[in-house]
Amino acid sequence: MASDVGMVHTAAASPARAAAADPARAAWLAAQRWARWKRRLLPLLGAASLLFAWWALVAFFQVKPFIAPAPQVVAATLWQKSDILLANLWPTAIEALSGFLIGNLVAVAVATLFVHRKGIEMAFFPIVVLINSIPVVAKAPILVLLLGNGMAPKIAIAAVICFFPTLVNMVRGLEAVSPQSLELMHVLSARTWEVFIRLRLPTSIPYLFSALKIAASTAVVGAIVGEWIGSQEGIGALIIQATYNFDSALLYATVICGSAFSVAFFLAIRMLERICVRWAPQSQS
Amino acid sequence: MGPAITPGAPAVELHGVSVRFMSERREVAALEDISFSLSPGSFLTLLGPSGCGKSTLLRVVADIVAPTSGSLRVLGQAPGEARRRREIGFVFQDATLLPWRSALDNVRLPLQVGGSPARGGRSPEELLALVGLAGWEKALPHELSGGMRQRVSIARALLGDPKILLMDEPFGALDEITRDRLNDELLHIWRQTGTTILFVTHSIHEAAYLGQQVLMLAARPGRVREMIPVDLPEPRQLAIRDTAGFGALAGRLRAVLETC
Ligand SMILES: Nc1ncnc2c1ncn2[C@@H]1O[C@H](COP(=O)(O)OP(=O)(O)OP(=O)(O)O)[C@@H](O)[C@H]1O
Ligand SMILES: [Mg+2]
Repeated sequence: MASDVGMVHTAAASPARAAAADPARAAWLAAQRWARWKRRLLPLLGAASLLFAWWALVAFFQVKPFIAPAPQVVAATLWQKSDILLANLWPTAIEALSGFLIGNLVAVAVATLFVHRKGIEMAFFPIVVLINSIPVVAKAPILVLLLGNGMAPKIAIAAVICFFPTLVNMVRGLEAVSPQSLELMHVLSARTWEVFIRLRLPTSIPYLFSALKIAASTAVVGAIVGEWIGSQEGIGALIIQATYNFDSALLYATVICGSAFSVAFFLAIRMLERICVRWAPQSQS
Repeated sequence: MGPAITPGAPAVELHGVSVRFMSERREVAALEDISFSLSPGSFLTLLGPSGCGKSTLLRVVADIVAPTSGSLRVLGQAPGEARRRREIGFVFQDATLLPWRSALDNVRLPLQVGGSPARGGRSPEELLALVGLAGWEKALPHELSGGMRQRVSIARALLGDPKILLMDEPFGALDEITRDRLNDELLHIWRQTGTTILFVTHSIHEAAYLGQQVLMLAARPGRVREMIPVDLPEPRQLAIRDTAGFGALAGRLRAVLETC
């Protein structure tokens, strides 16, 4: 009898042990663990199999190196020419980051103006939406012609390219406040700038971040496309050089280098978003 | 409080207030020729069919909507003046909390906007405790239940001891039990603070249980059907709803409501 009481007591005191003893729960935990591993391993497996297919195709059909390099050659190039790649990544990164900063800052400022001066918004917002629907690769050459050579024009191109999506999203975000919260602010006799700081701006933050995530990759595209014409350095210039020299390994390595930067940029923004938007219970990734 | 308040003035006074909403296809007479007057510290419940202008009436008193014709005074002042002096607290149908602010910071909002005229009364912490949310100060709105969110918004409306509390179906989305409890909490707060309350509801029982008078509105156009006094013993307790007097009053309210 005493041991009975003791057993009951232990079970109640340590739910963890009780759970471990419960076979259904143990099985569920094991399934969870397996699912977690699968989530991590399967993408790696997928990438590995594609790499293998790439290698096999190049080897089997004996594809000429200037048409498509084998993956191991690209990897070797990434390693051997890392100094050239990094030297060219720098200017592109600086252009993309500065363009990103400038373009988004101006976009937020213009969105603020639009929301407070409806007349200006009505005059220009439709045009902004129209320009925004033009693909980046179509916009960039126009800007290259307009802005010419040097680093500043590339920053300008990246900025202009970031500007439009952010402006469109920011205007939507600033206007996404519920009529009822505006009425609340009215009952509290809040001033226009207080409504902006306390209500509109926080409401727009998730919208801003979804624009920033787009802008993070388009800024890089803008900088690269800007370097395509008459540029001596940068990822874009290196892409053009490698293409004209039929150096496919360098071309692939350069593209990988640029994409890696773009992905890192995107992930950094997403991390910032996770920190800033804790209050939204389900924010779509 | 200030020189603009006439002592002994009614808390709310409407003279022939009409509100028409214009749109391209039609013109809605939301309110037509509404007149009544409420003495300070009274509790009025508003009943009426959907679309009869109950929300509009509260919004006129809160200076959110301007009357198309007629006039009104709130505490003897123009409603805009009363609003700027923070004499009016408004509880919306859904809690309307700012989702990025904790419960406590939501209650504090009135202190941070509108030049926040320095007012006495309870602190935000005390108000959260008053509505039974002590210990939930740091919780974000999405971590609270619907009833808890609504209580936060009541605490927010009570900040600064407003003399008028306007409540638009505040408990409409809650289950019966929670609603009963919040009704009692509200009566408790009303007795403690002595504010004048205008309370919109769709529930006949809630209207009878809470109000000293029930203002019955008829629809299309929204107009006063009848002002029905509630003579039930004070202070009210939930058991009162099982009495014959309460049943008779509820029956009468239902009969009038059916003719609206
Ligand atoms: N901003 C507005 N613009 C146009 N019409 C409006 C507006 N607000 C209310 N109305 C109209 O005025 C009438 C009264 O609306 P109100 O919201 O005051 O009704 P209610 O009694 O609160 O209804 P419910 O019980 O369904 O909440 C309705 O016919 C509605 O369509
Ligand atoms: Mg309503």
